[in-house]
Amino acid sequence: MLLQVDGLCKTYRKRSSVVLAVDHVSFQLEGGQILGFLGPNGAGKSTTIKMIAGLISPDEGDSKVLGESTKRHRQRALRHVGAVLEGSRNLYWRLSPLENLQYWAGLRGVGKRDAVLLGRQLLERFELSDKMNHTVQQLSRGMQQKVAICAALIHQPDLLLLDEPTLGLDLDSSDRIQEIVLELVREQGIGVVLTTHQMDVAEALSDRIAIIQNGRIVLEGEKREVLDRFEGNVYVIELAERVPKELRPELERAGAVFEGPDRFRIPVDSSEDLYQVVSRLKPVPVVRIEREQADLATVFRHYTHKEAEQGSV
Amino acid sequence: MWFGLLAEFRREWLLFRRYPTELISQIVIVVIAFYGLFLGASYVAGSHVVGNRLDSVIVGYLLWTLAMGAVGSMGWDIMNEAQNGTLEQVMISSLGLSRILLLRSIVMFLYNILFTFVVLFLIMWMTHRHLSVSIVELIPFGLAMASAIGIGYCVASMTILFKRSNQFLGLLQFVLLFLVMTPFASLPGWGQAIAVFVPIAPMNALLKQMMIEQFGLIGPHYWLLWSVVNAVLWVGLGMVVFATASKRARRKGILGHY
Repeated sequence: MLLQVDGLCKTYRKRSSVVLAVDHVSFQLEGGQILGFLGPNGAGKSTTIKMIAGLISPDEGDSKVLGESTKRHRQRALRHVGAVLEGSRNLYWRLSPLENLQYWAGLRGVGKRDAVLLGRQLLERFELSDKMNHTVQQLSRGMQQKVAICAALIHQPDLLLLDEPTLGLDLDSSDRIQEIVLELVREQGIGVVLTTHQMDVAEALSDRIAIIQNGRIVLEGEKREVLDRFEGNVYVIELAERVPKELRPELERAGAVFEGPDRFRIPVDSSEDLYQVVSRLKPVPVVRIEREQADLATVFRHYTHKEAEQGSV
Repeated sequence: MWFGLLAEFRREWLLFRRYPTELISQIVIVVIAFYGLFLGASYVAGSHVVGNRLDSVIVGYLLWTLAMGAVGSMGWDIMNEAQNGTLEQVMISSLGLSRILLLRSIVMFLYNILFTFVVLFLIMWMTHRHLSVSIVELIPFGLAMASAIGIGYCVASMTILFKRSNQFLGLLQFVLLFLVMTPFASLPGWGQAIAVFVPIAPMNALLKQMMIEQFGLIGPHYWLLWSVVNAVLWVGLGMVVFATASKRARRKGILGHY
């Protein structure tokens, strides 16, 4: 097993209040797989990732990378880990991409010759060969993110932690990063834990899905299985007029995704639920009701809204 | 560890080569500050008095600038890394932050020795005073730096928890100046025993023994032995304090925050 996360818990104390950030989170990942680790803002994704990377100590539980505990043998476990963390530059801006790669390689026990060779290969793969000797601060945001991924890969880790790797990037950069991540996983058999708010990215890359809400995993499984579970349960409903304003929050809570003012997709657990939705729409005329295959965005909304509702009861 | 040391050397060298004005302006400031002090002291005490003590003033001043570099660099490093968003990457590397800070201090010390020689040369040229420095005299400097690295770890511990230590580092300059300029070893009674534990004090006494009293490295007061004890003590203490602070920062989840 490449990554084994067992019952991670973390609470933060701020003056008199206690915030439960992560609540008994467990999951596994094999090499050659990508786990889409999804959740709304503040759900506990980054805290979990940082606990796996040994940057935050868990109150309870442990994570093991290739059998090495990140709690007890942190530095041994971290030899197998590369990470690109959200909100951090991850690079020295006054050095060039190649110099950065050589530096990070040195800190990870890679010799200069190997670092230069591997660094050049990685930069070439990420189409940055012509920018090799510019300083990082002269590069675009997309290029900087590519260099940060190269730096995380310079010691050829078995596990790559990617926290929002395509956030704020243009479409081309985002597509290229996705292609390369897929190539690396398929060719080199590395495992990736990917957190993102971009459901299309998660759906395109992930083999497994874990959804976290209020610090707890509310869904975990193979992507195909998860989507199959929803197949046949998602309906597209099109109305002759706009969806009444007062109904929108209620439909959204039920997991509806609006695709236009008069059209939405909604997952339902049974045909009875479907009739209930249609009856709530009365007297607005319904133009079309069609069964559709679920996508990750629908699944995500369904689980996070359901949890939020249960949490608020 | 070796690759890490080479990587740190290379990074410092690249930054110096790319931004040489930073180091040059630093040298100019240190030399001008010394010359200002020298002229001021000559005016107040008379050039004859200052002239007699100039050797020890120069040595003390250089020791102070070197110690300031060692004490402050770890704190500044953590502050800058947290601000620039690279601290978490440094923590993730398999060497660990404590060892990386140590490597950086070693690299900084070696570069600072070169820097100090340039400053020393300029000071000698400006004051028309010539000091002969032998390689053996670098030993007390090295031991003083080890002691300063220990304090540096304590400052870094504070920085890793609170992320801001600018004010404290400013104040620390004067504490260090006090440590370097106070002749603890010449204090009567318990003064000498205290000197063993005060950071940099036995190294200061060792330098005085070597450069002014001309006793050499092994003198009659065992200052070399006490300097080694002092250096080991402060590096050990600093590392323990830093390990405790890092653990606390990890528990509070504030490593990457600024």
